[in-house]
Amino acid sequence: MNKAQAAVVSLRADALGVSLGSTRALDSVSIGFEPGWTTIVGPNGAGKSTLLRALAGLQAPQSGSVHLHGQALPDWTDRERATRIAWLGQQAETTGELTVREVVQLGRLPQHGLFGALTAGDEAVVDAAMHDAECSAWQTRRLHELSGGERQRVLIARALAVDAPVLLLDEPTTHLDPPHQIALVQLLRRRAAAGVTVVSVLHDLALALLADRLIVLDRGRVRAVGRSDDAALHAALIDVFGGAIRIERVGSRWVPVADLER
Amino acid sequence: MTRSISIWRRAIALCWLVALSAAASAQPLTVRDDRGIEITLAASPRRIVSLLPSLTESVCALGACARLVGVDRFSNWPESVRTLPQLGGLEDAQIERVTALKPDLVLAAPSARAIERFESLGLKVLVLESRDRADVKRTLNTLARVLDASAQAAAVWSKIEHDERLAVERVPAHWRGRRVYFEVDATPYAAGAGSFIGETLARLGLANIVPIELGPFPKLNPEFVVRAQPDLVIAQRANLAEMPRRAGWAGLRALRSGSTCGFEPVAYELLIRPGPRMGEAAQSLAACLAALPAPGGAAR
Amino acid sequence: MPSLDQQRRRRLATRLGTLTLALLLAGLAAGSDGWSIRGLWETLQQGDAALIVGQIRAPRTLGAWLAGALLGLAGAVAQGLFRNPLADPYLLGSASGASLAVVLVLAASSLTGHGVALATASAVARLGLVGAAFAGALLGVSLTLILARGAEQTTRLLLAGVVVGVLLAAGSDLVTSAAPDALRGKQAFMLGSTGFLSWSACAVLAAGLLLALPPAWRLARALDALTLGEDAARSLGLSLSRLRAALVGALALAIGVAVSQTGLIAFVGLVAPHLVRRFAPAPHGYTLLASAATGGTLLLAADVLARSLIAPQEVPVGVLTALLGGAYLLWLLHRRRMA
Repeated sequence: MNKAQAAVVSLRADALGVSLGSTRALDSVSIGFEPGWTTIVGPNGAGKSTLLRALAGLQAPQSGSVHLHGQALPDWTDRERATRIAWLGQQAETTGELTVREVVQLGRLPQHGLFGALTAGDEAVVDAAMHDAECSAWQTRRLHELSGGERQRVLIARALAVDAPVLLLDEPTTHLDPPHQIALVQLLRRRAAAGVTVVSVLHDLALALLADRLIVLDRGRVRAVGRSDDAALHAALIDVFGGAIRIERVGSRWVPVADLER
Repeated sequence: MTRSISIWRRAIALCWLVALSAAASAQPLTVRDDRGIEITLAASPRRIVSLLPSLTESVCALGACARLVGVDRFSNWPESVRTLPQLGGLEDAQIERVTALKPDLVLAAPSARAIERFESLGLKVLVLESRDRADVKRTLNTLARVLDASAQAAAVWSKIEHDERLAVERVPAHWRGRRVYFEVDATPYAAGAGSFIGETLARLGLANIVPIELGPFPKLNPEFVVRAQPDLVIAQRANLAEMPRRAGWAGLRALRSGSTCGFEPVAYELLIRPGPRMGEAAQSLAACLAALPAPGGAAR
Repeated sequence: MPSLDQQRRRRLATRLGTLTLALLLAGLAAGSDGWSIRGLWETLQQGDAALIVGQIRAPRTLGAWLAGALLGLAGAVAQGLFRNPLADPYLLGSASGASLAVVLVLAASSLTGHGVALATASAVARLGLVGAAFAGALLGVSLTLILARGAEQTTRLLLAGVVVGVLLAAGSDLVTSAAPDALRGKQAFMLGSTGFLSWSACAVLAAGLLLALPPAWRLARALDALTLGEDAARSLGLSLSRLRAALVGALALAIGVAVSQTGLIAFVGLVAPHLVRRFAPAPHGYTLLASAATGGTLLLAADVLARSLIAPQEVPVGVLTALLGGAYLLWLLHRRRMA
């Protein structure tokens, strides 16, 4: 991904409305995303995963639109969109007999297509992705032989290997133990600093508060948008979680604390 | 001098006769089989494979048993065919074995899957099917043409009719006009009035609960049989034994009064083969009728 | 230095190759006298060889391999497409469509006696059971695709396939109740047999393989991407509906051709990909080809055994594949429970 591309990429949702069956999962959501790390938080059923899927082009909205680089998503070809937006879903039920390396190599699919061959450059990207996600050691092992946490790192590597200017991750910390969660956060920060538009859905508020920007979603609507030290944002967070938490400052960071005296 | 001339004339006439008859049997035959296809044979076939028991019986009845080189696994009459190679059934005829026997002609029924394969291997296949009496006669005549045995065909047919007349005489008067249910299969499949079995039964004076409109061998709703209340039930002995257990069939008067004819497998085969033994089949049926007590109720 | 994986793949390939060659030769010696090299030698000397060996044994042996290859390929495609190791290539209405078409042809020829115009009936009968089975398989799959409203969702596709299968089977029963003779013929046809394979049948099977294999193999990487899940595959730029349509098309073609020549033969399509996965797990580029080769070898072995075990009679080849396949699956389950 070259710097020129990174500078102009923008992802924007305009009055996005998505209905899943009879439920209105997203209601008139309008948000823009730029290079940096944004995290979406909210209670269960808020529509976080739906928003991410709509941004990735996997969910067609009933109203409103998603624009990538000023152009509506449906107007992009599948492959062009895939080279610019990498997406990692929440529950990956993987099948098959692929090795770790073969899985990560799939991340290069948008680049070289179904019939193209992998170049040396592709292999270098794959190596870098596996290094970043800390799974290079198991290159030759099969995905289904790994534990949950190991597998998650491989899937993260697969998303990284797309090397796209937009990186959408739904609950990437699932199955990861704390050291690896921290490593992932540091990785996302590095990517964001390099110009990637990182959007993640995180249920863990402690990690979420480490992001550059938070979006609070509740029942399909945006409740608040702001930096992690924004007081209004804190108020919104406490509100959507039913007053069960307090946001307190610890050192240079903000941290959620369960409010047991409530 | 005149004597030598007349001897010469006789000799020449004899030579002509021999030549003509030789030419006649070497005449290419053309017959149309039941598919509507014309089969041309260079001469009367000397090596025949039969894949249907009734056709086996017909060939033997026409005096050409010696020409059979192979039969299907169900052919069992006459005794001599049991020593012939058994080549499977209609659905699983053994292609290689049949071909290795190098037959001049293969006789089969229409539903034989192997027909196409045999023909692609260059064998001649004659497809014949007999559902009613007219079919049986036609099949017999076709075979007779092929085997150059037309005289025997007439003899076979008149024997059938002769045996049937004897059978008719054996049938007691109280069975005339009575209604019969002839079961071919426990599904139940019946032999209707339009089948060769039904026609034989008609000759014996019996009416059929299954009318001609339903076809020769229809699959019936069991309720039909119960409502029709036949005066006589004819079936395989094993099937007859379990009939009262069928839903509602215990109510059949014929079953309760014992107005039934049950046949063991070999005797049953005689009844259902549309071949030269139709006359014996009629006699077998008549013998059963003669041994039964008079049916109760009035003839309907 | 080839990796362990590559070694295993190469080993499987060479073993399949030698086994196939050996079985092809063995097939020439299996005949109505059972399996006997001496019998083959005698036949060759008798001058009968061209007919017996050349016209009957050879095409049957080769045809068994080709049909097995089609079934193995279809099985691998089905299991990859539906992401289910128990997927059977006869899904999606292909088997029931072929069955119904066969019954219709058989019934047409028997219904001639019931007043159907002879011209119509013989035209249908001339189409032959083979053409009917092929057309029926394709029509069955088309009906499934229409019912599932295009290949949008895999679960809907599977469900539609089940519904179509049941509907067409009911239709088949309806026809056979009107023309009972057709029932026996249909059961025999669908029982599955390699016994009627001629050189023209081999040509048809080979054509089917040449038409179905390349497109399926080209899409192998898409099947790999599918192992990550449908959403992940879509996020990588794959158009799933087009992919499904192409793969289902290849599947229908392979099954249609195979069923039209050999009827329904169980287990080959199901077991072949499992065997490949067991001995040489690999991405789909290798697995599709290896499944075809394994399916071919499997059916070839079953055919040679079918002819040799109780000669001059034959064990129905479908029974052997079911026994061999079923036994293998049982063993697999047993091992999994131990592990």
